[in-house]
Amino acid sequence: MSIALFQNWPRTITTIGLVALALTFALSGLRLSAWDALLPLFEWMEGNWFGYAGKTWGAVFAVVEACHLLGLALLGGAVFACDGKLLGVLFTGYRVDLIVRETHRIFVLGLVILLATGVFMACGVAMKIYYLPVFWYKMLALAAGILFTFGVKLPLLRTGEDALKPWLRRMLALTSLTIWLSVAATGRWIGFSG
Amino acid sequence: MLNKLIHDFALWLDGMTWSTALHESFYMYNWVESTHVVALMLSLGMLFLIDLRILGYALPNVPATDVAKKLQTPMFIGFAVMIITGVLLFYAIPVRTSQSLWFRFKLVLLFAAAINALLFHRHLRDTPALAIPEANSPGRLKIGAALSIAFWAFIVICGRLIAYDWYDCSYSQSEGIRILAGCVDGQTQF
Repeated sequence: MSIALFQNWPRTITTIGLVALALTFALSGLRLSAWDALLPLFEWMEGNWFGYAGKTWGAVFAVVEACHLLGLALLGGAVFACDGKLLGVLFTGYRVDLIVRETHRIFVLGLVILLATGVFMACGVAMKIYYLPVFWYKMLALAAGILFTFGVKLPLLRTGEDALKPWLRRMLALTSLTIWLSVAATGRWIGFSG
Repeated sequence: MLNKLIHDFALWLDGMTWSTALHESFYMYNWVESTHVVALMLSLGMLFLIDLRILGYALPNVPATDVAKKLQTPMFIGFAVMIITGVLLFYAIPVRTSQSLWFRFKLVLLFAAAINALLFHRHLRDTPALAIPEANSPGRLKIGAALSIAFWAFIVICGRLIAYDWYDCSYSQSEGIRILAGCVDGQTQF
């Protein structure tokens, strides 16, 4: 474990620093100030062309929602395949780096679709989600997922298969699965709230 | 006649205490729906990886037959959970769902996707050359994979559109929509 962590120490320390900053932000009054400061952005989102289209044409909003789900499926496929390999239950007999590299392209494609369609959907219901705690939980989970994948998981996995102990690989997989399942579940709960 | 039978069946389901309880339970219903989405993430995720591998866009260094074989089990687990939660969602709101135009399209597309999947797996099994990583998939397998992605994309779109009430029988609809949605003359429950 020590080999893997310290071979990537700048990125590891940066990630730990970012997590510490995020926690400080979340637990202090800064969070509420930032929330107030974001109100004009959400008002602008609802008033722009995307917001108008999302509110006016229900069919467009519904199709974009479906594309969001398809993006989620792509991302989910990549996450389950990669983490299944790290857990030792999928793609046994193949090298970890091969599966990680090849599923990552699909992960990025899924993430891009999720973000693009998510921004459009957020514009259509910007003022509603601004006041929904579950929306902010989803944003937190999404930020954690992106930060974890690009800042922790991939750098550690790039140190090479032999540098990582099996328990650390399993921990990476379980953390990744927990975060991305939380993103999916909190996203669905936005629809039930408000 | 068939629409009347479906409507009667839906009314019978709707009269069950558990159906009402599930519909009216905020947390239970929402958990079932959230599980449906997470199962979709697993099952369609695996399916898309298999289809994209056949089309040459994913996992090019892993043989196509291996991708299909290794991802089949989690895909079926996801589909099983998706079917169970889907049946529960139907059970919670049987009358409106059974008369939803989108739900009916979704069922037709599910049937088409199942036939396509059967043929696809038969062709995949009969193409031993795909056990080699660099092997290109034959044209008919590629067509099957593309059709699979298209069917499921439309299934997801129809599933999402069920939530919208544009073509509900409770509104005034054209005769064509009434027939397709299965509206019953004189029905009082929607």
